[in-house]
Amino acid sequence: MGNLSSAAAGFLRSAGFAIVLFVLLLAVNLLLNPARYLPGNWGTLIGLAAPLIGASLASAPVILAGRGGIDISVGPAMGFVNAVVIQALFLNLGIASPALLIGAALLTGLAVGAINGLLATIVRIQPIVATLGTYLVLAGITLTIVPAPVGPAPAWLKAMSASWSVLPLAAILVIWLGIRRLPYYDLLMAVGSDDRAAYSAGVPVTKVRFVAYLITGLFSGIAGLMLTALIGSADPNIGANYTLIAIASVALGGVSLAGGRGGLAGAALGAIDIFLLQSVLTSFNVSTYVLQIAYGTILVAAVVLTALQEKLFNGVRAR
Amino acid sequence: MSETPRMIIDDLALKPGSSPFSQKLQRGEIVGLAGLDGHGQQRFLETLAGLEKPPRGTVSIARNMEYVLLKGFRHGVANGIAYLPRDRRATGIFPSMSILDNFAISTVWRDTSGGIIRTARRGARFEQYRQRLAIKAPDPKAPITTLSGGNQQKVLLARALALSPEILLLNDPTRGVDVATRHVLYDVFRGVAREGMTLVILSSEIEEILLLCQRVLVFREHELAAELAGDEMSTEGVISAMFGKAA
Repeated sequence: MGNLSSAAAGFLRSAGFAIVLFVLLLAVNLLLNPARYLPGNWGTLIGLAAPLIGASLASAPVILAGRGGIDISVGPAMGFVNAVVIQALFLNLGIASPALLIGAALLTGLAVGAINGLLATIVRIQPIVATLGTYLVLAGITLTIVPAPVGPAPAWLKAMSASWSVLPLAAILVIWLGIRRLPYYDLLMAVGSDDRAAYSAGVPVTKVRFVAYLITGLFSGIAGLMLTALIGSADPNIGANYTLIAIASVALGGVSLAGGRGGLAGAALGAIDIFLLQSVLTSFNVSTYVLQIAYGTILVAAVVLTALQEKLFNGVRAR
Repeated sequence: MSETPRMIIDDLALKPGSSPFSQKLQRGEIVGLAGLDGHGQQRFLETLAGLEKPPRGTVSIARNMEYVLLKGFRHGVANGIAYLPRDRRATGIFPSMSILDNFAISTVWRDTSGGIIRTARRGARFEQYRQRLAIKAPDPKAPITTLSGGNQQKVLLARALALSPEILLLNDPTRGVDVATRHVLYDVFRGVAREGMTLVILSSEIEEILLLCQRVLVFREHELAAELAGDEMSTEGVISAMFGKAA
């Protein structure tokens, strides 16, 4: 119980601003567009928000692992999974079995994660440069596989963005809750918090970081499925857009880009905030340019407020 | 000491060109390292930990009736070496983590059953060390930063001891620690040495070394200037070796 309450306190502390924003934005959304939030629409609503939430959840593990850990190839990886599943497997080879397509998506994600992990932790290229490389390569390969949008997607997959939209998110939740109970989670947070101290304590820092890239890759695979379910086709131009907005969501959710602070609950909440903000602004028929200005402003405000809040908190706690 | 040594330092030079030396560390021995700041004792300790690669010579650890060459820090940890770093804030504690997790981070695998962390087991493990080291930590789940410097140091020592090392390397372990805590630490050091652990203690305070150690290695200009034991161990002897005067 103590564990739970201290975890909750940590969540409140790091994601405080995201929670306030969530309540505000939800209220505004409910006022503007109550019909959209009726229980009958929840499936579609979650399906609509899912790729962003998935991308945000996928971005978080490597960021938690610290020392500039970041994976900007999450978006293109989603697009790549989308292309592999729909064009290469479903349309070209005629494979429609859920087990095979889901398996292929997860393996594709893991493979991308393994390459990123290899480059960033073993070859020791700076993560942002290493994953920029995979970003470009993946975007290029995706365009080669799918030069222009094609469809359709199998019916079961489309259902994953409607009545069953909660399933892929639940899968990530279950995997992460499992990871949190493993010794690995302690090592990850220690490495993220201070890698020199972790090394001195005998933690296998490189391995821990490598596995963080694998987890990010796996979650990107699932997020790729969410995207595929939502668009019901293969589209080479959508995936890459998720990268930056996912990182914004992670930061908004109180995950420190320096590592070791925050968690996936915050990352999900940050993504939900962005999604709700999107729907408020679109219901006012605001142009997408204004949307971007709003994202940027709120992101900076959130990071500043979180830092201030932490400072205040530490000031109170310091002896 | 006819016993086989636990660690053999052979023909070791701390800097290119500095004269090499050899040493043997025995079971249950407390060896002190002294010297003016930056004269090589720190580098020597880090070499024993596998953190520094010496330009010349080797360090080997006794392992199942034979000796293995120390290959690096993690290799050392896997072969019974624990190292307590000097700078507690920069390379010791994890400020955002709890006391309990700070304690357990080197030994997370011991808290699992079926691969899953059992917090109760971790708590019980910590409790042993909390009593032995008299750690004043009413709530082990509170952040480590709520503890005083001395108690943080005790948690770090508990973390190292939890590895059940055969060789414990301590880099100025009582720096910035109050007198009462120091004496608790001294008792613990003597206790684990009696149980057979080999301790190497780098200290900036000569009194501390004289009080604890059977033997002291004094470093000067990255060379072993003197090795004093038994009756030769005196404040004057150590100081004159530190300053390079003939004793």
